[in-house]
This record gives sequence, C-alpha cells and structure tokens, in this order.
Amino acid sequence: MNNRHSCIGIDVGGTFTDFVFTNGLDIKIIKIPTSTDDQSHAILQGLELLSVDHHTSIRHGTTIATNALLERRGAKTALITTRGFADVLEIGRQARPQLYKFSQSKSPPLAPRSLRFEINERVNHLGEIQHPIDTHSFAELVHSLEQNSIESVAVCFFFSFLNPCHEYHIAEFLKKAVPDLPVTLSVDLLPEYREYERTSTTVINAYVRPLVMNYLTRLKEKLNGKRLYVMQSHGGTLSSEQASLEAARLVLSGPAAGVIGAFSVSQQALKTTTPQILALDMGGTSTDVSLCPGKIRQTTESKIGDMPLGLPTTEIHTVGAGGGSLAQVDTGGILRVGPQSSGAMPGPVCYGQGGQIPTVTDANLVLGRLTQTDVRSRKPTRTLNKALARRAIERIADKLELSVNDTALGIVRIANATMERALRHVSIERGYDPRSFVLVPFGGAGPLHACEIAQSLHIKKILIPRHPGVLSALGLLTADLSTEASQAYLSTITALVATPQQLLETIDQLKSIVVSRLSSDSSAPLIDCNLDLRYQGQSYDLRIPLTLPVNIEGIQTAVKGFHIAHHQRYGYSDEELPVESVAVRLSARLPQKIRYPTIQGQRNSSFKLSDCPSTSVCFKEDQPIKIPLIARDQLTFGSSFSGPALVVQYDSTLLVTPNWTARVDQWQNLHLKFHQDDDS
Amino acid sequence: MIVDPILVEIYRHRFVGIAEEMGVTLRRTAYSPNIKERLDFSCAVFDSQGNMIAQAAHIPVHLGAIPASCASALNAFSEWQAGDVVILNDPFSGGNHLPDITMLSPVFDGQEILFFVASRAHHADVGGMSPGSLPLSSEIFQEGIVIPPVKLYEAGGLNESIMWMILANVRTPNERKGDLAAQCAAHSVGQQRLSQLLLNHGKDEVCSYATYLQQYSERIVRSTIETWPDGTYHYQDQLELTDTKMATICVSVEIDGSNINFDFEGTDPTLNAPLNTVLAVTISACYYVVLCLIKEEIPVNSGCFHPISVTAPKDSLVNASWPAAVASGNVETSQRITDTVLGAMAKALVDEIPAASQGTMNNITIGGKTADGTAYTYYETLGGGMGAAPDQHGLSGVHVHMSNTRNTPIEALEMQFPFQVTEYALINGSGGDGKFRGGDGLIREYQFMEKATVTVLSERRKLAPWGLNGGSSGQRGKNTLITDEGQEVSLSGQFTREVNPGDRLRIETPGGGGYSSDKNSRNT
Repeated sequence: MNNRHSCIGIDVGGTFTDFVFTNGLDIKIIKIPTSTDDQSHAILQGLELLSVDHHTSIRHGTTIATNALLERRGAKTALITTRGFADVLEIGRQARPQLYKFSQSKSPPLAPRSLRFEINERVNHLGEIQHPIDTHSFAELVHSLEQNSIESVAVCFFFSFLNPCHEYHIAEFLKKAVPDLPVTLSVDLLPEYREYERTSTTVINAYVRPLVMNYLTRLKEKLNGKRLYVMQSHGGTLSSEQASLEAARLVLSGPAAGVIGAFSVSQQALKTTTPQILALDMGGTSTDVSLCPGKIRQTTESKIGDMPLGLPTTEIHTVGAGGGSLAQVDTGGILRVGPQSSGAMPGPVCYGQGGQIPTVTDANLVLGRLTQTDVRSRKPTRTLNKALARRAIERIADKLELSVNDTALGIVRIANATMERALRHVSIERGYDPRSFVLVPFGGAGPLHACEIAQSLHIKKILIPRHPGVLSALGLLTADLSTEASQAYLSTITALVATPQQLLETIDQLKSIVVSRLSSDSSAPLIDCNLDLRYQGQSYDLRIPLTLPVNIEGIQTAVKGFHIAHHQRYGYSDEELPVESVAVRLSARLPQKIRYPTIQGQRNSSFKLSDCPSTSVCFKEDQPIKIPLIARDQLTFGSSFSGPALVVQYDSTLLVTPNWTARVDQWQNLHLKFHQDDDS
Repeated sequence: MIVDPILVEIYRHRFVGIAEEMGVTLRRTAYSPNIKERLDFSCAVFDSQGNMIAQAAHIPVHLGAIPASCASALNAFSEWQAGDVVILNDPFSGGNHLPDITMLSPVFDGQEILFFVASRAHHADVGGMSPGSLPLSSEIFQEGIVIPPVKLYEAGGLNESIMWMILANVRTPNERKGDLAAQCAAHSVGQQRLSQLLLNHGKDEVCSYATYLQQYSERIVRSTIETWPDGTYHYQDQLELTDTKMATICVSVEIDGSNINFDFEGTDPTLNAPLNTVLAVTISACYYVVLCLIKEEIPVNSGCFHPISVTAPKDSLVNASWPAAVASGNVETSQRITDTVLGAMAKALVDEIPAASQGTMNNITIGGKTADGTAYTYYETLGGGMGAAPDQHGLSGVHVHMSNTRNTPIEALEMQFPFQVTEYALINGSGGDGKFRGGDGLIREYQFMEKATVTVLSERRKLAPWGLNGGSSGQRGKNTLITDEGQEVSLSGQFTREVNPGDRLRIETPGGGGYSSDKNSRNT
C-alpha cells in the first residue's frame, strides 16, 4: 500500500473505537470494542489489523480527559489564588442547581478547601499592582504542596489577564523549587475576565493534565515514530506534545470531530465551501446538535457537569434523548421519554440484558424500524429480542389506554420532540431559520429519526453520509491542524480607532504564540483574527472577524459586522450606541491536504426498488404497512427511490418516510428531498 | 376535546421553550449587571384569560406575582392592539416592589388576542430616597417612581412621554433605557414564536393544549396533596424590625383532601417600615413550598395553583395596602413567610420538610459617583446556608427559597464601580449541626474608593435559622463596618449610611439549620 499521504482517524467512543484509514485512494473502516482500562490497547490492535506503517499520521479523538472529569480520576490538584478568594471555586455563581427542591447536592470542587492556597497579592482593575506578591510565603507553600503530595497546580490571581506578572513570578519559583510539578497559569489558558469561570477552567486543566500527558506520551512511544495529532474541543488537531500542555482543550473533542465530519461531507456533497447544515448526532444516551451557518461555530460558555469551561469549543447543544432513553408514564398519566437512560447495562429491553423499562430503541424495534437481523451485514449484529421489547411497551400502553403501536409511536415522537427542541434552540432561538438548512443526521440512530424531525421543522433536505456511524473518525481526518489564543482587550471603538498601535502589538504577540504552537510543519499557517464586541454596558459579546493586517477601515468593518450580527441574534441593533471590544482572538491553522475521503463511484442506475424484499413498518396509523428493505451496499451513484423504505447498513439504519425521495451521489451519500403531499 | 397524551408533552416543550428563549434574549441584551450577570428576571406566557401557561424558572418570588401583573393589566385595559406593551411596577396594582418592572404584550391571531407574553426584571434603580431603591422607607412614595399599568408602546409606537417620565425619575437613566429595550426585545421574540406556532398548528390545537397543560399540572398537584394527612397545622416565626423589635408572622395550614389553604390570621399589622408585602408575594411563597413537595418535574403554570388558596388579614404585614412601604417585603419577608409555612408543614410531613435556610437575601445597594462624576447604582444579594433536608446536608453559599439570582463577578464589578471586594469566602462550620448539617453562610467584604451611600436589608441577625427534629440552628448573620482607621463598628440588620474611602463593609450571611439530633448514622 502506498502510504506517503496515508492518514488514519481513530475515535474512541464509550462502546467502540472507530478507525477510518485512507491513503487518498482507498478507504477502510473498522470498529473494535473500546478497551476501557487503557484506550491505547484497542488503538494498537486496530493499527495492527490495518497493518499501518510508520509513515501514516494518526489523528486521534480521545475521551480520556472527559472521563477523568466525569469519573473524578484526575490528579490531586492544588489551587493557588489571591488572598481572600480561595472559596471562589466552591461558591461559583451562588445559585443552587435546582429551583424547586428541598434536598439537593452539588458536585464537590476538583480542588478541595484544604488544597486551595491563598497568597497575599493584588492587581487592580487597571492592571496596577496594588499589593506586591508576598514572596516570603513561597517556601511554606512549597512545603504544603509536598506534604499533600500534590500532582498538579493551578494558579489563578485576580486581574492576571491585565497584568500577569504575579502569576509568572510564582510559576518561575515553583519551576525551580519543584521542577516536575505541572503548573497551569490562568493567564496562559484563559486571559479573560470573570474570576469564577477562569478559575474553574484553570483547575480543570490542572486536574486532567498529568493523566492526558501520561497517556499521550505512552501512546506516542508505542507508535514507533508515527506522527500523532490529537483533536481539541474547538475542532482542530494539535501535536500530542502541545496538546498535553493544555489538556482542558481536549475535554469536548469527541462531539467536535462529529461536527467536522458532517461539515466536511456536506462541503463535498453539497458542492460548496460554506454549507448551511444542522448536524444531528444521535447516540445511545444523548443527542448532540450543532448549527453550521456556512461555518463551524464556537462558544466559550461550555460546562462539564456544573463546572464552566471557558475555552473555545465547537458550539454543540446536548439533550438527553438517545436510543437508550427510558419511556415511562408519570402520575399525571402522561408519557415521558428520557432524560434517564438505560446506559450500556442493562441497555434497551430488547438486548435481553435484564432491562425492564422500554427505550426508544425498543419502540423502533416494535415499530419495525429496526430489523432483528441485519441483511447483508459484514458482521453479525446483536440479536434483538422483539418479544421482550413488545411486552415492556405493553405494560405502559395499558396505563395509557393506547395500543402497543400507538404507544411505541408516541415514544418515538416524544424523543423526536426533544431533539426538535434542541434544533430549535440552536437555530430559531439564535435567529436562524431551519428551513434554509440541510439536516445531516449521523451516529447509529440519527438517520432513523431524521425524516420525521426534519418534517416538524419544515426542513426540506437531508444529507445522509455514506458512513453515518463512523463520521467522527472521518471528521478527525479532515480537521485542520490548528490552535488559538486570546487576550482580554477592553477598549472603546473610538479609542481603538484613534490609537490602533496597542492592538497591533497584542495581535503580534498572539500571533507568535499560535505560530510557535503549530511549529513542526514548514508551510506557513493561515491566521484568523476575531474581536469580541458588545454594546458598551452589555455583558455578552459577539465574535466578529477582523481582517489582517489591521487598519482603521478593518476595525470599522468589524463594527458594522457587529451591528448586523446583533440584529440577527437578538432582533435589534442601534448604530448610534457606542461599541466596545472585550477580547481579541487569534487562530492559526494548517489546512489538511486530505479532504473528505470517499470513493467516487461510477454512475449506475440499475437499482430497482421492486427488487428489494419488504418489511413491515408502522407510521401514523396503527396498522403496519409493507415497505421495501434496502441494503445500503445495493445503492450506488445514480440510484434513486421514493419513501417509504428502510435502508440498513453495517453502522446505521435509515428510515425514509413517505413524501421523501432519495438519490445517491457520486460519493455514495444519500440526498433526501421532501415533497408536499397533494392532498394534505 | 380528545387529548393526545403525546402532544401534551410536545406542547409542554414548546411553551417552556418560548419562555426560555425570551429569557435568553433579555439576558443577552440587558445593560445592568443585575439582569445580565445576576439573572434577576422572569419571563412567562399567558393565555387570553391571564392564566399562566409557562414560566422560565428563575425567581420563585415571581411565581404568584407575575400572574397578578397580568390580571392587573387585563383589568386596566379592555382595548388592545398588536404592538401594545403595558408597563407597571405598582405593588398595589400587579407589582411586588418598585424595582421589579413588569411588561406585558398581547399576541394576536387576526383580530383576536390568544396569548400574552410577560417579562419582569429587577432594575438596579427606580429612584426614591436611596440609591438602588431598596430604602429604609415608611411609605411607598419614598421607594421610587410608581408606575401603574400604562401603555409604554401603543400599536408599536413608543409613548415617549411615559418613557421620559420614567427616565426623569431614576438615577441611571441610560441603563434603564437599555434594560427596558431588552425586555421589549424578549417580548418580540416571544410573540414571533407564538404566532408561528399558531400559523403551523392552528388556533384550536394550540389553545386546547395550553388549557390542557394546566389541567394536567393541577391533577398532579392534587394527587400529591391527597397523600398528605388532613388537618390544620400552625406555626409562627419572626422578622427583625430593629435589633430589639420583632414582628410576627402566623400561619394555619389546612389540608383537606386535594386542597390546601394557607391562612395568615394572627400576623402583625402593617408596619411603618419597608418589610410589608402585598398578598401576591405571600401567595408566591405558598406556591413555592407546594411545588417543592411535588416529586415529579411538572410544567409550572396556573393549573398548579388551583388547589392552593391563601388568605391573610387585610392591612397586615403579609397583605399590605396602599400606601404601605414594601421595598424589602419582596426580598426579606417573603423568605420569612416561607420559613413560617415550612414550620407548619413540618408538622404534617415530618420526613419531607427541611430545617430553616438562611432566611434572607442579604440585600446590598451601593450608590454614588465614580471619580469622573458619573452616577452609579449597584445591587447585590448574597447567598448563605441552605437548611439541611431529612436526607441531605444543606448546600453552602447559595441562594435559598424565594431567590436564585447569581452573583456579580468581582472582576466585573470592580471594572464598573469604585469599590473592591476584599474577601469572598464560606464561613466554615456556620451551618447548624445534626445528622445532616445545615449549609454554611458566606462572607463578602467590600472596600470603598470613593464616598458612597450604602443600604443593607438583611434578616436573621438576631434570630438564628432554626434546626429541625433536634438539629441545631445555623449561625446568625452579621454586618460590620471597619473604618479606614481600623475601628470596627457593629451594624444592625437594616441600615443606610454614608461610607468613606478606605472603609470596609463586611457582610456575614447566616448558616442553615441542621436536621435531626440522631448522629449515630451520621452521614458525612
């Protein structure tokens, strides 16, 4: 095999580790059960199966940082902060998690009170040193860190984003005193205002950093010199060495890869660099949705559990509706679906692992939307027990006084309503009309629900990728090598325009940071600059592109862009109101030479729906109807058919409902189009 | 009507989604830290009769009070046009206290009003005798501008005279103007969404489910109340008027089948102080307690409230009439009403009611001028200890019961106001002891750069939050001024005073009460 430009995407999920290998001509896909004790076992196993040589570069999406946080298996972490504020991390924003509940709990902070140390120092809101840092206390601090066997340190001082000298000072001291102790400075990670969010982010990084660094170092050693790049939450990859330093940037990388996969496949299939898509990734316990208005958007307001993470993250909204979501009848006699999930164990009732409460998967099975045995699959799938699923649904159907099929349909419709609300949240609530977007469903279950969800939002086009079940691994292959850095920059636009010199200097500094992080390759990275702008007096800003090199016209264009963006998002704008900048952000990226890898097929329109076997599926009415059952491998470039039909394949199932027509493009993607019924 | 139990759930998502989206818009476009950082607001959707269909849950004290605003506006106007926006803050005409400004807009389907959308936001200043408009007043006229239900917009056109009138009466007019615009932006989002819903699904279906959702919530609340033991349960608790003078709140809770009545007979008469409340606030506290006892997560709408009735003697502390002072009734008395109701309910539901929480919001308002002469007002409320529950320790440093606003980030406030925060910490061990411990209170200490006027309204400085079933009470709160010269001055629960550059104001908030003296099976 010619491996000169070969590349492999490896996405570690809860159940499976997905591999997508390509050398630009060929594409290979495998799934291996995830090795939960050490994720690298399954990775090495897969690499061996694919007999990948050392020229192959590896793009890796890992859940190691996420799991460390969710399972609380990170490093013993100390926080060093300004005198008087050790409890900021614990108090948070002072709100209780639930409004109407007498008995409630919050997850304890990652650094407990006894490991939060205060230092006498203070920088004020102008960046002036109000109290110089008390260097005499350093020796005692080091003693405490050693006594407590601290494995990682987070430093967050007030207003360090305006003047970082105290954070630098203590970092330098610690480096000499305890050279092996990893230290995360808030100014390096997130130099922006709001002390709680910044502290939380810094502590998250310190907490996951040793584990991530360890894992990536060991993995790299085992890879015999293959290049290893790791996916980050903002949707770019970075060399494993750089990635370990800012481990918090990996926390939400899994869903990010899926969005990139969806976006890349859309760029190709829709023949535009700026596709307008709604990505819908439906998994077992939850569904991730993301709106891409011609680009992948980012946010800096993510949360892990109840801990804020202020780093740029691909904008994804998650709701508790997935194949494993439980369906139950409440005391008011109403059917509820999720957010509780059957999890991996016992899983849906039909898995026969002891589950009693029916799930969305059980409903789909009873409705005939999932088949018990996979036609033409390369591997035998799990045998699904339809009788068990039916009995479980019967139990709640009795309470609702509905038929089993109506109840199962209800479960699916409620799960769809939850996903619909998620899609509304990212589109309509942000001023975007979903009707002008193409729905891109993926994950094991996304294509099964896509037609019905699209219809409820009046979306008329759906794009189903060739491999919806491994789209995240595909996304890893096409993600750019990239990094970003930001700096708080509070200034009125008037002042910016009058003296742009300081802004230019800040941008130059940020530029050297991002360029040095990408280091390795010879080609010059592409640099993007953004300004966070808001109306003076507001608290929430919008990110607006700023053309480089910066000049006064460029700043004015950005301000105009801000008014337009504000109007789009919030329904009003006022060009008379003064605008101010909050932060400046720079990103550098090296675009991937490998584009979305698929095989371009020959046109072949021999496919006939009438050749397919049929299967019974329930739609609106109680009685099931016979519809064609299509094996995805039968569909080739040029094939087309009208719904209803059920399409099955190795990694997913697609339900094409009535009123939708499908055609296959030259990359084997399915394009669905809605046709209004004449009589409705 | 044939109800599709599946569509019920779908409509529940739709209506709540609309209220939430209004909330997001308001937060994102607001100007004052109190709205944009602290989220001191609520948004709601009503049917044409003024029944609440959905509320974006933020502030429980608005529960019963927002429907009262809607009723008041419907009462005041019989003629409506598309594009109308009614504004009000008059506590005796649908408001709760003057800083909370409520706006209401109709949603038309053709010529017919089918819905109303409403927002209520706490504005950092509405004039009156002290900056921040939470003064130590004795009648309402000292508390700020009183806005009866009037149309701020008529058929989409701004009634500029009313806007001028409002802005002329407040200390920070530009901020007010921006925040009022943010409320309007939230309304237009709510209107658009409802109109679209009507367009897509038709008036009959949308309205039927709006009604059915209320019946559904009512059914769940009734089925819960039915499980409670019938009977009448009494309790009384006290509010601190001054360091030595207390006022008493009495309640008799009568549980009868699926109905519950809260009767405040015996409560002290209206005071010559700002601690009085209008009945809407008292009702909110009762609603809140019942909602907390419903095990399932139900849609919060007017249906929830049908099984609940509230009676209180006219001109009492908990049912004040014009022109009583009510500034702190909403924030402080509402907490004590909750404590009193919980005390009574604990006699009926031994295993479900928690010990007393901090029982105050520790309101701080600071006003003055920055070095360049610009007027500012700052408002903050502080969290404290939550009372221990029968199965759980209380949370520390959080808002309890009738409030759930956030704090203003210290770096944000220091960039905006001429003072600093020098300490923000939990008070270890201030929660009451017991099998389950009460949550800890917290300390927030401010240091001033410029002269300023400070008003603090706080409670539980003399009477500690009580423990339950043998649990100890939480530690009392404390207010202290440390002058520039280092002299410590002990301050009472409620005060207004001038402070000088270098002075430090130290607020220590109460801990929550502990639950049960049985420590054998102590859970840590």
